[in-house]
Amino acid sequence: MTQSSKNKSIEIQTTSDDHRIAKLAAFAIGLHLIEAVLPSPLPGVKPGLTNIVTLFVLYRFDFATAAWVSLLRVFASSLLLGNFLSPTFALSLSGALLSLAVLFFAQYLPRRYFSAVTLSVLAAFAHMAGQLLVVRVWLIPQSGVAYLIPIFMAAALVFGVANGLLTNYLLRINPAKLDEDKG
Amino acid sequence: MRFLVLLFALILSACGKEPLVQTKSYVFGTLVDISIYGETEDKAHEVTTHILQDFQRLHHQYHAWQSDSELSKLNQTFANGKRPVEISPELAQMLMQAQVLSKKSQGLFNPAIGSLIGAWGFQRDEFTPIEINDLAIQKLVQSNPQMSDIVIKGNTAFSKNPAVKLDLGGYAKGYALDLALVELQKKGVKNALVNIGGNIIALGQHGDKPWRVGIQHPRQPKPMATLDLPSGWAIGTSGDYQRYFEKDGKRYCHIIDPRSGYPAQSTQAVTVLIPASPQAGVLSDVASKPIFLSAPDQRANAAKAMGVEHYLVVDAEGKVMLSASMNQRVHWLAKPATIVMQ
Amino acid sequence: MASAFRWSKPLLGDVLVILVGLIFVTCLFKALWHNEHAAKLQIRLGDKIYATYSLDQNRNIDIQGPIGITRIVIANGKARFASSPCPNQYCVHQGWLSHKGQAAICLPNQVSLELLGGEKPFDSLNY
Repeated sequence: MTQSSKNKSIEIQTTSDDHRIAKLAAFAIGLHLIEAVLPSPLPGVKPGLTNIVTLFVLYRFDFATAAWVSLLRVFASSLLLGNFLSPTFALSLSGALLSLAVLFFAQYLPRRYFSAVTLSVLAAFAHMAGQLLVVRVWLIPQSGVAYLIPIFMAAALVFGVANGLLTNYLLRINPAKLDEDKG
Repeated sequence: MRFLVLLFALILSACGKEPLVQTKSYVFGTLVDISIYGETEDKAHEVTTHILQDFQRLHHQYHAWQSDSELSKLNQTFANGKRPVEISPELAQMLMQAQVLSKKSQGLFNPAIGSLIGAWGFQRDEFTPIEINDLAIQKLVQSNPQMSDIVIKGNTAFSKNPAVKLDLGGYAKGYALDLALVELQKKGVKNALVNIGGNIIALGQHGDKPWRVGIQHPRQPKPMATLDLPSGWAIGTSGDYQRYFEKDGKRYCHIIDPRSGYPAQSTQAVTVLIPASPQAGVLSDVASKPIFLSAPDQRANAAKAMGVEHYLVVDAEGKVMLSASMNQRVHWLAKPATIVMQ
Repeated sequence: MASAFRWSKPLLGDVLVILVGLIFVTCLFKALWHNEHAAKLQIRLGDKIYATYSLDQNRNIDIQGPIGITRIVIANGKARFASSPCPNQYCVHQGWLSHKGQAAICLPNQVSLELLGGEKPFDSLNY
């Protein structure tokens, strides 16, 4: 940061990486907003497309960046939707946190055997588990929830695989050395 | 890839149901419950049907008050005179066994008092209060029918005392249990549990753990304890809560004291646990009765005389007494207020 | 997206994870999908199962047995023998069955009741 007594403007140095991350975060927020508005067959079951962004960032950058993007998305989206600190926010945050925690370890799985599909499935299960935990402990402390758990986990598996495949595809068509204009 | 699919299928099948086939049926005038573990459904049903048919036969052949049963016909000839009559080898064997047990129990186990049992109205399918005719009862007591009055030679029998009227109610279920165990083993069944009207005998185990039985509370509609029944062991309970009637606020149960002619009053229930032996079933049925009929200070002696080491008594006040070895085996579901060890 | 979407060859680890995921979800269904809420009443007449009813609907059931008609009442999540033609009325005296695993029987009319479910602490009852 440069500060001059006469020149009152503040410049923040940014890199092209920062630009890319900002674009990806914006993209993630956008996806989150779209999903929030789209009707879903079962309350609580969403395709989780934002996970694709998280994973993409994880592969192309690093875990810390992915965590940033993910959490930025959670906070910014909730502020934009007007449900900051509400139960919806708690669900979103818990899902993101647990899913990041799992990814922190899963990222070290050998790439020869495990692609983004694995990470996506694991992250999806973790995401669902985190949300169910909040539901069970805080929101609906009855055993009726037990009935829905298998359904949610099955959805997590299905969407996890789908998102993982999509992520693989995206990674393939956006190889490591990126041109600033793309992606 | 194929290996993974197979593995998946294998794991799924392991989450499957256990191979336990349970059949409940009304035979012997009571509920019979046969559980067979680890056999195919077809075999289990085949064996069970066979055993239930055996029970039906026993029930009819040795019925205490149906006039066309072999036992009733024998009772008729006993009443009519001292002429020896031919009986089936099975009945001869049963009677001899009963004689030995009656002697061991000092006459407290006495299947020859059919007339007394009938006088109290317990030789019917339903029990209603009767007019208690003390005089008639005393006369029956004095006629003193005993198992020792019966003379068995080969396959013939006669009675020296016309008052002898056989009622194998306290014996037949136990005999049927022993029979069932032999049948099961003959058919190659390794694990089963047979329950005839509450009397149970075990074979093998329930998978990887022993068969576990519950013991009914004498006054509440639920079990008061459980215990494991090792292979070949049998358990039986004599209680005042199954066959009884109430008159003027007093309970008269079906276990009659041959000495007084009246139903026992000092006990609610006696449970005996019998180790494996060819007679385990019979003993589980018979051995509880002398203990049930004994005065409180005589119960331990009665148990000893019958060779019973593991027993539990609930007396008329609901107090529980049990032998030390029984205490080690019993898991209480609702621990009773007073427990005394003998 | 510019290029055509082609399936890439599945990696071994991915397949493994998906399979394990499937097993996990299946076990969840098996473990959690057994109607915990409403207990069921199983009525047997003689050797056979006569009917099974959920306890969450009040109803009266009349059963014709060998000696007459036995009436069973389901109310407020509990069940009992309301009336029976047996002389001793032991079954009626058993009262309300409310917990899973509890049972009552009318021997003369060969009717038995059992509340299904729950881990029975024993295989058979000695009485």
